[in-house]
Formats: sequence, C-alpha cells, structure tokens
Amino acid sequence: MPIHDQGYRRYLGTRMPRGRAWAVITTAGLRTFFGRRTFLGLLLMAWLPFVVRTVQIYAAANFPQMAFIAPTAETFRQFLSQQDPFVFFVTVYVGAGLIANDRRANALQIYLSKPLTRGEYVLGKMAVLMTFLLMVTWLPAMVLLLVQVSFAGSLTFLKSNLYLFPAITLLSFVEATMVSAAMLALSSLSNNSRFVGILYAGLIFFSDALFGVLRAVTGESRLSWVSFGNNLAQLGDAMFRLPLRYSTPWPVSLLIVVALIVASGLVLEKRVRGVEVIG
Amino acid sequence: MTAESVVHAEHLSKWYGQVIGLNDVTLSVPPGITGLLGPNGAGKSTFMKILTGQLKPSQGTITVLGEPIWGNPALYARIGFCPEQDAFYERMTGLEWVTALVRLNGFDDAEAGRLAGRALELVELTGAADKKIGAYSKGMRQRVKMAQALVHDPELIVLDEPLSGMDPIVRRKTIRMIRDWGRQGKSILVSSHILYEIESMTANILLINQGRILAEGDVHQIRDLIDEHPHTVYIKAEQTRSLAREFLAYDDVLSLKFEEGAVVVETGRPDLFYARLTALAASGELGVIHEVTSPDDNLQAVFEYLVKA
Repeated sequence: MPIHDQGYRRYLGTRMPRGRAWAVITTAGLRTFFGRRTFLGLLLMAWLPFVVRTVQIYAAANFPQMAFIAPTAETFRQFLSQQDPFVFFVTVYVGAGLIANDRRANALQIYLSKPLTRGEYVLGKMAVLMTFLLMVTWLPAMVLLLVQVSFAGSLTFLKSNLYLFPAITLLSFVEATMVSAAMLALSSLSNNSRFVGILYAGLIFFSDALFGVLRAVTGESRLSWVSFGNNLAQLGDAMFRLPLRYSTPWPVSLLIVVALIVASGLVLEKRVRGVEVIG
Repeated sequence: MTAESVVHAEHLSKWYGQVIGLNDVTLSVPPGITGLLGPNGAGKSTFMKILTGQLKPSQGTITVLGEPIWGNPALYARIGFCPEQDAFYERMTGLEWVTALVRLNGFDDAEAGRLAGRALELVELTGAADKKIGAYSKGMRQRVKMAQALVHDPELIVLDEPLSGMDPIVRRKTIRMIRDWGRQGKSILVSSHILYEIESMTANILLINQGRILAEGDVHQIRDLIDEHPHTVYIKAEQTRSLAREFLAYDDVLSLKFEEGAVVVETGRPDLFYARLTALAASGELGVIHEVTSPDDNLQAVFEYLVKA
C-alpha cells in the first residue's frame, strides 16, 4: 500500500498583491447575494422603471403623436428619484447583515487575523453594497441615456445635455456612498441584522417625519436638512441644474451628507476590530 | 531577545479600561511547540490576540517572527490563528469556509480550493468537507478551525484552547497532529487551562495567571523551581499509623493527615523524603506500602501550586 506524504508543500504560484484583500470580501459578498433568488427578484423589480422608461423613449421616438412624452434632462432626474424605494430595499436587504452577521458569527476575529486590514474589510463590505446600489441607480440611468441616443438616431439630445453623464454618475455615487456608509455603521453596532434593518428604516422615516412636522410648524422648507433623503434630493436637483425643491442651500445639504459619511467612518473605526476578550 | 525566538515580548501590558489583561509581560517563545497555561481569565486570549495583531498593546513591545506585529498585515500571512470561540457561518460547508478564508492570503479560487481540501485532509475532515458546519460536532468544529489556521502553510500557528470540547479519541489524534506539525518545523503556541493536555504535546511551557507570566521554560525547570516549596505525597499502606509516627520524626515533614487507607504527607525536601521512603518500603519494617503517588507529580498540581503561590 503506498504511503502518502502528509506534509506540506510550499505554494510556488503567484499570489494576489497585498492591499487587494478587500476584493476577496467583495467577491464573496456579491456571490452570496447573486445566489439568492429573492434578491435576484428584487433586482429584477428594480429594473422595471427602466423598462417603462425605455417604452416611453421608444414611443416618443417612433410615434409623432407621442412626442409629448419625449424625454428631457429632467426625465433622468425623475428616473433616479423613482429608484429611491429600490435603493431603500436593496440597502436593507444587503447591508443590514454585512457586518452584523460577521459579528454574530465571531468571524471578525478570524478575518482580522488574516492579511486583511480593518480598512480593507470595511472597503470590501462597502463595495458589495455600493455595487448593488449602483446597479439600481447609475447602471440603468446610463443605459437609459444610451437607449435614448439609439432610439433618437442622433446625438442632438446628448450634445445639448452633456452634463447628464457626470450628473447621473455623481448623484448615484454620492447616494451609494452615503447610504452604504450609514448602513455599514449601523450594521457594525449590532449582531442582529433584522434589528439593523429596522433601525435603518426607523431613522429614514423618523427624519422624514421630523421634517414634515417642522415644515408644518414653520411653514417653510429651510429645515429640510434634517431629513437624510431630502439632502440627497437637494443635491440631485443642483447636479441636474434644476430648481431646488427646498429652501435649504445645497452646500448645507452637501455638508450634512459629508458629515454623515464621516460619522459613519468614525463608528466603523470604533466597532470593526478584534473582539476584546480577557481569556 | 534570542535570535531564534519566534515571539518576543518586552514589558507588554494591556488594559481594558480599569481591568488589566496583561501585566508587564516579558518573554521569549522559542521555535517548536510551546504551551501557554493558565486558568480562565489569566490573559491567554489577550496575549494571543496581541501576538496575532488583533489587539494593540497598551504598553510594551512585541515582535513575531522578528517583526512588530501591530499594523503589519503582511506578517499575518505567516501566522495561523485558531480562536477559542466558534467563528464561522454555520450555513457554509467546511470546504467553502476554509476556501473563502485562504483566499484572503492572495490565492486564486482554484488554488484556494486545493489548499482547503488539503488542510481538511490533514485534520481528518475530508469526509465532512461538504457538510454544513452547522451539522458539525464540537470536535469537528475545532478541527475545521484548525484547518483554516494551517491552510496557508504558516510558520507560526497559534491555537487557543484547541482541544476544548473534543472527545478523548479526537483529542488524542489532535495532540498527535500538533506534535507532527511541530516535527515538520512549524512553531506552535498552544493554550490550555489543562496541564496534562499541554504536557502531552510539549515540555516547553509558559505559565500565566492574572496577566503575569508565573514561570517559563522546560517543564523540568519549573519542577525544580517548585521543588523548593512544600511537596505533597500520598502513601497508601497497610500500617498508616506506624508510618505516620515514623514520618513525624523527620525534620522535613511539614504536615501530615490521614485519608482512607492512606497517609498524606507534606515535605519541604521531597528528594530526601523519597529516599527515606524507598528505604522504608524496601525494609518492610512498617508493613507493605501499596502505592506512592504525588499530586505534584503531574503538571496540574505544579500549575495549581504556582498559581496559589
């Protein structure tokens, strides 16, 4: 009977360079969610507004009597606003457990004993959520812009609205960054993803409700910055060169968004670390 | 620090607010297998988390494999860590979990899968590799954690209470496995609060209690250290009262008590006492001596003695 060598042989192949461990975390996260039918269903639903808009653009381009529904620059801003409910659901579904589940499984102590920094870990997790959020905001909006060009058969619309590319990109990335950072910070505060999801929903609805009350009391919208969603809406209007919907100056909204991202970073810095145990 | 030491700590301390986890620890861990012994709360896990780079020392320095460990993730690739607590997703299979973790060391999917399979084979979990971890027994969970610690072929393996919860047969296999890794040239730091477990793996131990290193070195050196202190001998004999009378005449006998069919003696000079006892048994003057044992003869008693001290 042959006796097999039980010892180790050193790996002589190439290894991924240092600093790219975040990509491993991201890839694992993306694979996990792409493997879930419920999530694929959610993604599919998130693209339904895209289908509707595509039909709109097609009809406007091919039927003169439908010219009144021809897309304008504002159409793309509206499209991104329509995606907000999907942004919410994707954020809760994907983000709530991203760190909370690792905490519950004690996985952080294993991860952080590997060649993976805390920053890379957070970046990897954030990239998972941001990827999915951009898949329901930036990606369909950009494809919609290309659809418009192809159905119109000319670059006239694009040439006169060239700012749409950076506007769509900037708004999508700002939204994805803010939402992802906030959700990850909340996720790092608990071991229970359901609790995190409820907390996130509570904060969103509470801040909206608070603004509603303040608006009713003061009779103006200057305090729109208390609502997380309103700050993004305000920035979106500014980026798309549209009249601002609230009286809050857009730099104030930008400041709130930046402050929220920084605060989330501080929470993550505090919470994502090896478990402190006296053993 | 000796040129050979794999871990070297100088005046290492760690506080958790008002609670001290490690208190001015200075030590060197040589290559090979080293046992870290201490009761629960002694500071073993704190020390292991510091030396695997997960905790920053409050004070002092620590180098691992010749380099500072804190904020040095490149060094983590040369270390394998098996934590005491379960730390995995129960819905994943053992193979999936180990594969996912080894990818963090920079291996591609194919190589990661191969290495994970190999590591699971080494811990004798090949048969359960495709089962969900949630269905694993405690012993299997311990072994899959060990597999992830050694899968990337580290130079130093840090095992925090690896035998915890294992049944006797698996425990024996695991001890053999750890000794084999030591023979293959790996340095292993293994913690336990049960001394005979460590004794079966290595003679080189570190005793830790209340955040301080009580003793370090070869088991026999530690024995020499405690030989200066009272030593208990349990003697099961026919004529315990006659024996007791004889012992009371010895200067080195510090105390004496009776148990069922036996007399228990505490001596300040164990070597002299054993020499006299051997002579007494050989003469047969005071009847037959059935059994002579000493709780101090196993490491558990050594440890308990040092901790009490």
